[in-house]
Amino acid sequence: MKPITVTLIVNGEPRTITTEPNKTLLYALRDDLGLYGAKDACGGEGECGACTVILDGEPVNSCLVLAGQADGCHVETIEGLAAGGQLHPLQRAFVETGAVQCGFCTPGAILAAKALLDRAPDPTDDQIREALSGNLCRCTGYTKMIAAVRRAAEEMSHVR
Amino acid sequence: MQEIDFYRADSLDDLYRLLAETGGRVIAGGTDALVQMQRDAFPAAVVIDASRIADLRYIREDGDRIEIGALTTYADLLASSLVRRAAPSLIAAAETVGAPQTRARGTLGGNIANASPAGDTLPPLLALDASVTLSSARGVRVLPLGEVLCGSRQTCLEPGEIIASIAFRRLPDPSGSAFIKLSNRRGMSIAVVSVAAALALDAAGRIVEGRVALGAVAPTAVRSPAAESALAGEVPGAETFRRAARAALGDIAPIGDVRATAAYRREAAARLVIRALNGAWEHAGGRVGA
Repeated sequence: MKPITVTLIVNGEPRTITTEPNKTLLYALRDDLGLYGAKDACGGEGECGACTVILDGEPVNSCLVLAGQADGCHVETIEGLAAGGQLHPLQRAFVETGAVQCGFCTPGAILAAKALLDRAPDPTDDQIREALSGNLCRCTGYTKMIAAVRRAAEEMSHVR
Repeated sequence: MQEIDFYRADSLDDLYRLLAETGGRVIAGGTDALVQMQRDAFPAAVVIDASRIADLRYIREDGDRIEIGALTTYADLLASSLVRRAAPSLIAAAETVGAPQTRARGTLGGNIANASPAGDTLPPLLALDASVTLSSARGVRVLPLGEVLCGSRQTCLEPGEIIASIAFRRLPDPSGSAFIKLSNRRGMSIAVVSVAAALALDAAGRIVEGRVALGAVAPTAVRSPAAESALAGEVPGAETFRRAARAALGDIAPIGDVRATAAYRREAAARLVIRALNGAWEHAGGRVGA
């Protein structure tokens, strides 16, 4: 395999890596960039959403994108959400609502929710359910996650 | 993960050149291809990414003809008021694909190229009588979608050829289309059976054009010629739709698998044909259940 050179703009910062051509975006983030927020739970099936990142504004399963396909693209990961030592309203709402237990699905769920709020700042419960429909959680369940997203949306609307 | 070499094409010319030089296989959104690669089941040593070729991502209207570039994503379809008006069946199918993460990446051309018997957009496209434009450095050929799908996970694409676009004609009003997918849950699920229908009526309210297509009940998604002849010239309604549903069973060959038995699929297919026809009739302005 011929190595490839890929530049990803990760949380606003250009990062250039030379890596294997069969590397997924998920493993480029984890192994090449040391960002362990995106998780591999289903083994590259696109079933669980634990690897969700925001790629050029869209929520994607980073296990189903080759790193080379994302060359030159903007990638938002959970590591980029907190700003100036302050958790993002979604992160805070997940904690305060009790929407986190084991935490494995949390980064992906929060990024799926952020992609929703970026385009629909005042979502209905149905829109929230739809936005989280690709993110499996096997311990907390969804009721508190939905409440957390609603709470974050409300808080963010006060800030605006 | 299987070993591959990777190239990215930024234009159609680039893509044809890379195909000729490497004999590689094209991927787009990767929502099926990457799953296969990670199971070492994507038969290619060279992978060419086409997902960034902007010229293949569009939705156009020319008179009654709608043309959709192969790299149009499911999310693009859902955001298109044009597709929403012209093909509610295709919208209904796009809504059932995976989750937002899948719909942001997966493409209409990829759904055809993957040629799964359960591909969600295939029944609605078949019932819209869609044609597919295949292009290569040598030129272009246009085939009915049914001829592109030549077996389970097999297309008739020749080496060097790509899916460039999909087109269909809007049926004259009053007309309608609908799609129904039976699956184990609403998100992230593969069809157990899916059915799409399209109906066009004449001034007297009779069916001038009635089309039925089914997914996950044969090696490919299929039209049902028998159901369609049961509809032609008839007055829409419960009796006609029941006859069409019975006829459709002659055109399918479901198997049993992890998702359902063959017998269950037959039973479900008959009922879904009726429901899809009712949906198409309702969209055409007809009264359901009359």
